[in-house]
Parts: sequence; structure tokens; C-alpha cells
Amino acid sequence: MAEPLISTAVIGHEFGPYDVTIVGERATAYSAAVGGDESPDYGDTLAPIIIVAAALTELIDDLGLYSGGLQTVHAGQEVSWGRAVYIGEKVEARGKLAANSIRRGNHFATVTVSYTDGNGAEIGTSSTTIIVTGEQS
Amino acid sequence: MITRSRSVGDALAGFERLIAQDRVNDYASASGDHNPIHLDEAYAATTQFGTRIVHGMLSLALVTEMLAAEFPNTWHSGGKIKVRFNAPVIPGETVTAYGEITSIDETDHGRIVTCNVGCKKPDGTDAVSGRATIPLE
Repeated sequence: MAEPLISTAVIGHEFGPYDVTIVGERATAYSAAVGGDESPDYGDTLAPIIIVAAALTELIDDLGLYSGGLQTVHAGQEVSWGRAVYIGEKVEARGKLAANSIRRGNHFATVTVSYTDGNGAEIGTSSTTIIVTGEQS
Repeated sequence: MITRSRSVGDALAGFERLIAQDRVNDYASASGDHNPIHLDEAYAATTQFGTRIVHGMLSLALVTEMLAAEFPNTWHSGGKIKVRFNAPVIPGETVTAYGEITSIDETDHGRIVTCNVGCKKPDGTDAVSGRATIPLE
């Protein structure tokens, strides 16, 4: 089996762009997950965290963290958001590996992500730190 | 428009929420993260956790729901959050989102409120903890 990308990627490695446009069905599923009727009414806008989560899913896949034998822990998350985003509005995410090191046998990786709208304007950023154990690297 | 007065030491309007497996399933549909550690009990039993765990981003989403309810006009337009994931939430647990204002600062961009925020497990330990900054209107 090929080595997961997290074992070989160097700082600065770029990910994406990913289309993280959230359509109505996914927005509805998100609302049901977090609280349904108990949640704030966002109207036709989205909670930014679901856009970040959609990008994170793509990143985890590209980093090879679904590979067998890897034990992955989502250790930290930062999100900064600039404006409301509408359901179905085009959003792209571009990631960059900001840190990738091994300490005490655990692999620490941090990926920063920039989110842009259909005009290419940045509307948010995020940073995800992941710890991988059980990896022979 | 009525704006609330805010003071250092004010508690945010937290809430309790039962995170049943059906919410985890909905979150998987919303985020696209179908990692079996969240969905497949037989697989999850072989992992370091020994059972299914809730997506960390779902626990974080509850914290941001609280912020969206507390700061409906500004959380999605200038809000920032930075958290650590300290412990996994197990499906079936009732968690508590909480927050407290720790400072209010005058900046070139207006007044910014800083809050300690988090999400506690039933035993009182933090599943998620960190800090959020939100512009005030």
C-alpha cells in the first residue's frame, strides 16, 4: 500500500481547490445534526463551520488519513469568517500544509485553508491540527 | 434595533444537547465525513476509543451554534474561534455548550468581545475548549 501523503508531504504542499459549495440537502442535514428546531434560524445562509467541515473531509482524504492502521486525532481547529454565505453559493477551499513534524512518535500536521467565493474574494480561513499515531514514519 | 449591554464576566446562553447516533449520521451526510469510527460500531470497537465517537467538528458546531444565537448579526461576519479537542464525545451523551465573556476591547474595527467557550461532557470534562472573538454591533 502506498504511503499516506502525510508521511511524505513537505511544508507548503498545496491541497485543492475543493468545491465546498453546500447545497440545500447538506444544509438540512447539518441543521438536523446540530439541533433541528433548537438551532438558530439561519434563513438562507449557512453556518460557516459546515463549509470548514466539508473542506476538512477533502483534506483528510487527500492526506491519506483513512488508510488502514492509522489512528487520527483531530487536535485543534481555528476558524475565522468574514461574511455570511448562502446555501448553494459557490465556495472553493485551498489548503496549504503549514507544519508537519514527528514528536515522541506522533505525527503532527497543521493545514491552513483559505475559502473564496465565486468572485475569488476570500471569505474565511481555517487551520486544522491533526495528530496521527500508529504510523511507521 | 435593540442591542444588549455586554460586560466582562457575563455568561453566554449555553445549552444542553443530546448527541444521539442519528445526529452523528446526519452530520456525516452534511460534512461528507463517513469515517467508520463515527458510524460503524464493529469497526470502532477495534480503535483506540473502543466505540463510535462523535465528529469533533460536530462538538465544535454546538459551540458555534451558541455563538450564532448570542451574536446573530456579527458571529458570521468577523467572528473567530480557536479550540482544542480534549476528549471525544460518545453518541448518546448529553453535552453542554458554555461560554463567558473575558474581555471587551475597543479596536480600530470597533468593539471586540472575547469569550472562553467550550463543550462539556456529562462528567464535566471539556470535549472542546478554547476562545472566540466576535465584533459587537
